[in-house]
Amino acid sequence: MKARCCSRASLAALIAAILASPVLAVASPWSEKVIHEHVDQSTINGTLSLEALEALRSKGEILFTGRFTEADGVGRPFATQAIIPTKRKRAPESPFFRTAGMDSNACSGCHNQPVVGGAGDFVTNVFVSEGFESADFDSLDPQFSNERGSNHLFGAGLIELLAREMTAELRAIRSQAAAEARRTGEPVTASLAAKGVDFGTIVAAPDGVIDLGGVEGVDADLVIRPFSQKGVMTSLRQFTDNALNHHHGMQASERFGERWTGTRDHDGDGHEDEISVGDISALVAWQATLPPPTVLRPTDPAWQAAAANGSATFEAIGCAECHRSSLPLASLEFVDPGPSDMAGTLRTAEVADPAVYDLSLYAWARALPRNEKGDVLVPLFGDLKRHVIADEQVAALGNELLAQRFVERNVFMTSELWGVGSTDPYGHRNDLPTLDGVIRAHGGEGRKARDGYIALSDAERDGLIAFLRTLVIDPAAVAR
Amino acid sequence: MSARRNLLATLLAALAAAVPAWAEDTAPRKPVNDIPQMHEEALAAGIDHSYTGPWEFFVGGGGASLDCNGDRRPDVFLAGGKGASGLYVNESAAGGDLRFAEKSLDLDAKDLANVLGAYALDIDNDGHRDLVLLRLGENIVLRGGPGCSFTKANRQLSLEGGRAWTTAFAATWEAGLKYPTLAFGNYVDRAAPGSPWGTCEDNVLARPQPGDRPDYSQPSALTPGYCALSMLFTDWNRSGTPSLRVTNDRQYYRGGEEQLWKVEPENPPRLYGKADGWQHLTIWGMGIAEGDIDGDGTPEYALTSMGDTKLQKLDDESDENRPVYTDVAWDKGATAHRPYTGGDLKPSTGWHSEFADFNNDGLLDLFIAKGNVEQMPDFAANDPDNLLIGQWDGSFAEGGDVAGIALPTKGRGAIVEDFNMDGMLDLLVVNRGQKASLFRNCGAVAGDLARPMGNFVGIELRQKDVNRDAVGALIYVKSGTQTYVRSVQVGGGHAAGHAGFVHVGVGTAERAEIRVKWPDGEWSAPYRVFANNFVIIGRDAPGAKYWYPAE
Repeated sequence: MKARCCSRASLAALIAAILASPVLAVASPWSEKVIHEHVDQSTINGTLSLEALEALRSKGEILFTGRFTEADGVGRPFATQAIIPTKRKRAPESPFFRTAGMDSNACSGCHNQPVVGGAGDFVTNVFVSEGFESADFDSLDPQFSNERGSNHLFGAGLIELLAREMTAELRAIRSQAAAEARRTGEPVTASLAAKGVDFGTIVAAPDGVIDLGGVEGVDADLVIRPFSQKGVMTSLRQFTDNALNHHHGMQASERFGERWTGTRDHDGDGHEDEISVGDISALVAWQATLPPPTVLRPTDPAWQAAAANGSATFEAIGCAECHRSSLPLASLEFVDPGPSDMAGTLRTAEVADPAVYDLSLYAWARALPRNEKGDVLVPLFGDLKRHVIADEQVAALGNELLAQRFVERNVFMTSELWGVGSTDPYGHRNDLPTLDGVIRAHGGEGRKARDGYIALSDAERDGLIAFLRTLVIDPAAVAR
Repeated sequence: MSARRNLLATLLAALAAAVPAWAEDTAPRKPVNDIPQMHEEALAAGIDHSYTGPWEFFVGGGGASLDCNGDRRPDVFLAGGKGASGLYVNESAAGGDLRFAEKSLDLDAKDLANVLGAYALDIDNDGHRDLVLLRLGENIVLRGGPGCSFTKANRQLSLEGGRAWTTAFAATWEAGLKYPTLAFGNYVDRAAPGSPWGTCEDNVLARPQPGDRPDYSQPSALTPGYCALSMLFTDWNRSGTPSLRVTNDRQYYRGGEEQLWKVEPENPPRLYGKADGWQHLTIWGMGIAEGDIDGDGTPEYALTSMGDTKLQKLDDESDENRPVYTDVAWDKGATAHRPYTGGDLKPSTGWHSEFADFNNDGLLDLFIAKGNVEQMPDFAANDPDNLLIGQWDGSFAEGGDVAGIALPTKGRGAIVEDFNMDGMLDLLVVNRGQKASLFRNCGAVAGDLARPMGNFVGIELRQKDVNRDAVGALIYVKSGTQTYVRSVQVGGGHAAGHAGFVHVGVGTAERAEIRVKWPDGEWSAPYRVFANNFVIIGRDAPGAKYWYPAE
């Protein structure tokens, strides 16, 4: 009883603490700031109740939608957009710049289609550059960057959870192979498969050396990085740290703070500790708990019929080999910080009691189908694997100039198709206005399915489009 | 009146602002970055070892780490001084407590006594690292074999170990030679008239003779010797041909100085002199550390001494033939001239020095072992080891006390290694007259807990047939705009060194590109690797291999 009282008291205190450190509390109506008080990370511990989680989400939503200003710390005159804290020798002529950034005022400035958290059209494209080489030049010339569209974030928490579980599976295979090779004194070849997705093979030698030459579609460290078109970002937390700096010049302490740069004002704009660890947690909580897109049930019987046929065609011509209709997820508990992040993004072992966002608190999560093992079937229409997507004849999607984070220019992660009906245009550059166009642009490993699509009758192709157009982000469904 | 008072107050305020506080009034600067939590666990780990002996063993006290059983975990050989030396086989689980098991060696016990230090290298290119024992009397080479077996190999190598008091060692593979050139640094010639004052023994350079086996039958003297306490083959000007740097103890030499020998293949060694820009410097030279702390492409050197440590950087007047150095230790906060804790204000006595990135933030830190020679009254009796944490402005700030290494011991040699293969550098310090200290790096101090630090890469280089461990190679690790440079060397420190994975902290970088300048000067292709991994880069290999420790 006493423990229960303590528990309730703790819960009430937690909610009160989160509410008492509001991002927008005590703000004058005319304030030009978004952040009036940082979110206190020490209040975000253990499994959050629905009330506490919603309180944290509301902070995250304010940060996601707020148009940051100089009063908040916007600006990075002496830092580049690089993920690794990188100093700039002199301030750029203009603080806002479409290529090297800053290039937006709010996260929702780009992620808003069809609602906040969604994708963006061509005008929201961003320019991805490592931000290391010739920092003063690449801000002026797009040839030193890759242009990318803005992805939607609905279901992002489920995506990250899938990636975490797949990473754990792959690493367990590696550990088992290495242990067996050591035990037997013989090389051990092991298939890398996670959630039914094949990532090639590894060969473990008895001395602990792993031959990674047979690995496919995932980095050599076997971490599934599910975010960005390239599949090179590990977590919502990492991406949030990156994006706040790149797009807004708002530097998170956990990446750009004194610990890693020697200064609390790495970007030299006169603002110290612009984004706290707790602020990032609030943003992560908001994104991780966004409901997934849904499947529209058209009222038009003709659309219903066409979509049904298109769904079958989608399977028949091989689209689903990469755009898998679902992947099984064992746990809906989103632990933040997560297990796969590296230094510069808050890690699990850096906090005494990591927060747990139990997605099953939400009706949309409870409504997801489950398989016979009880795993949630996440309907992502993807495989969280990277593929070569261009070839000599069909090269449109191999149009980037730069490799990114060791991933070659013609290799991209399978786009998750959930929500595709609401997030045109398409392609990693957002330069293909139609689904038909982006399907026809598939080369490389997507070539066979693409050729199959072209070989279909007009009606069959139309049915496939009808099916894809049912994969939507329904503003009503994602509203709370 | 009021106006006058205001004027006076203004003047006083201006004066206060204009006159800086005396240096002595300034509180020691604290690191702003991670300080590793170093947990001492030598006895629990199975290392119960002391370096003992009379006057001849006031110096020395080192050891070597090497993988002697093929599991890639660093095992340890420790000098015992007058007492027995010991070999400790590493049984630490990855990321776990440190664990060692002492292994008896099937060797004559007298060969394992009177040992002052040791270094490991594969002299005969057989794939097993050998041990060079620096001794009071005959120096001994122990040829490594499978399963941490060692046999005395002096006769096989035609190496006459001499009878000197040997306190320093370095080795390099000179261009075109199959076997390494060995340099032995000697201390006082105790048999010379007037000893010990002004009676420093010559040092020795043993070049391999032509042939299909290592033959050191024709050593030459490096004259004059000035009581060397550390030596290191170092490519100070990045010419591709390392020179031999020697730090000497002014306590016993007369007219001596620090030395740099130009060692060109097939030519007799030649000392750099005043005409070359080499500046006369006399210190109680005890240890040498090399590290490119400012990323300018050429190495800096930390020279330990009694009193202040020197931190030498190439001067603007230098060029590839003029080794002109300037001391930047004071500017960088790296003098470490007296104890930073414990209240003893007398000058320090520094021994082993080594640059390494203990907190994986991408900045080199500087470890200095400290300890009174024995009972020198004018020097600090309680002289804790230093862990100078590299700062982003290029300076250093003391973190030894917070880290937990400020023990009342008399440090001598040290081994900086990742003993439990968790990506964080641990530390073994050989103490004179006391038990060795073994510190496990648990992560950054965070209240009572330890938290993970920056990312790292562990790199092993492999060559075929000759110089298999690529001694003399330079490793360039690039992430973002930063390039971290490491040298593969045998020598330096104080009577102690390590061989095996080269550790590079890379801060927040998740990936890195590695290029190797092999010992013969050839550049490798770039190798892209993911951080927080151990990788093996073979000569001409198409890609880096990943290695995982047993779990």
